[in-house]
Amino acid sequence: MAELMSPQELRVALEEAFSGTMAKDASFSRAWATGKLHKHHFVHWATNHYHYVGPFGDYLGLMYANTPDHARDAKDFLLQNMYEEELSDDRHTDLLIRFAEACGGTRQYVQDRRNATPFTKGLQGWMYHVSGTKSFVVSSAALIVGLESQVPSIYRTQYPTLINKYGFSEWEAEFFDLHITSDEIHGERGYQIVLKYADTPQLQQECIDIVREAADMRFAYTKALYEAYVEPDLGPWVEEEALAAASLAEPEKVLVG
Amino acid sequence: MPRIHFKTTDRYYEFPDGDEVNILRVSIRADCGLPWKCASGNCGTDRMVIEQGAENLDPPRRRERERLGDLLDQGYRLACQTYARGDVTVAWDPDQVGLDEESRAGQRLKAKWLGAADGD
Ligand code: FES
Repeated sequence: MAELMSPQELRVALEEAFSGTMAKDASFSRAWATGKLHKHHFVHWATNHYHYVGPFGDYLGLMYANTPDHARDAKDFLLQNMYEEELSDDRHTDLLIRFAEACGGTRQYVQDRRNATPFTKGLQGWMYHVSGTKSFVVSSAALIVGLESQVPSIYRTQYPTLINKYGFSEWEAEFFDLHITSDEIHGERGYQIVLKYADTPQLQQECIDIVREAADMRFAYTKALYEAYVEPDLGPWVEEEALAAASLAEPEKVLVG
Repeated sequence: MPRIHFKTTDRYYEFPDGDEVNILRVSIRADCGLPWKCASGNCGTDRMVIEQGAENLDPPRRRERERLGDLLDQGYRLACQTYARGDVTVAWDPDQVGLDEESRAGQRLKAKWLGAADGD
């Protein structure tokens, strides 16, 4: 029978669960980080991202309702996370739409669910399912550790590229800058909840499994963006070519549009 | 291994060579006691004086520049906005609160609620 892991062992196991399929390594993310994308690709990205993270307050609200009173610190974290998404400053989805508009998109286009891929709708549905039906410990592992805590590693590569290569202003790209830092903290708090409340070997294993599942979901969603929107323009993604081209590229800004 | 010294609580956090770590994140992880609230560069609750190792920090971005203003020149940084890649020593006032008595978030909410009440 499996033994209860220490918090340190569980943290390592959770990190290992998503390290093989991180969204930063998916074709769309790699094309982004190596300066291959054009502004219309970013409009599609923002639209799909809107339908993935737009209901984050809903997901957190469902998790809040599923968290028992004795886990008051977890409830407070979820409430604070919800508040930060929606009210503490510019609404996060408004920052996303600001970026889409800087790329030539419109609020109406971004908000129209028909413009999202089936993979995006699948990811959204999966998040509603997990947050609405699983224990708060398991849903924290899925949404906060498996998905939200990946964000800094993705945007820390993509944000400098947006500014230095694609030529966006800091204001236009604020969505990314904000999430680099805020999701560091949300991710860490998510780990703390899981490390504290996953108190049986079975629950620990369930958390590890769902972190792996979350990473797979996000990877598939990101990869599908390349296949739906970029592949028709640039062909299938080949990592070696991109790396070779990036190392030969001139340091000036690439043209987008 | 590089080390962050949280001088006010006399705690340390070590991390592998080549890594970059968010200072507030590791303070929370290792229970080093830096106060904080918003984690997004708004409140200023987590401001800290960099006593040593400022050269091992990434440069301040827009939110931090706007929130700290002149305090940046006095050696302050916001822990939630700052990444370290080498040895650093930081200190803070253990009783410090946010930089605005009434935060921007509070003003925004008040405006929203008052606006709604006016419209009723
Ligand atoms: S915690 Fe509010 S500015 Fe860093």
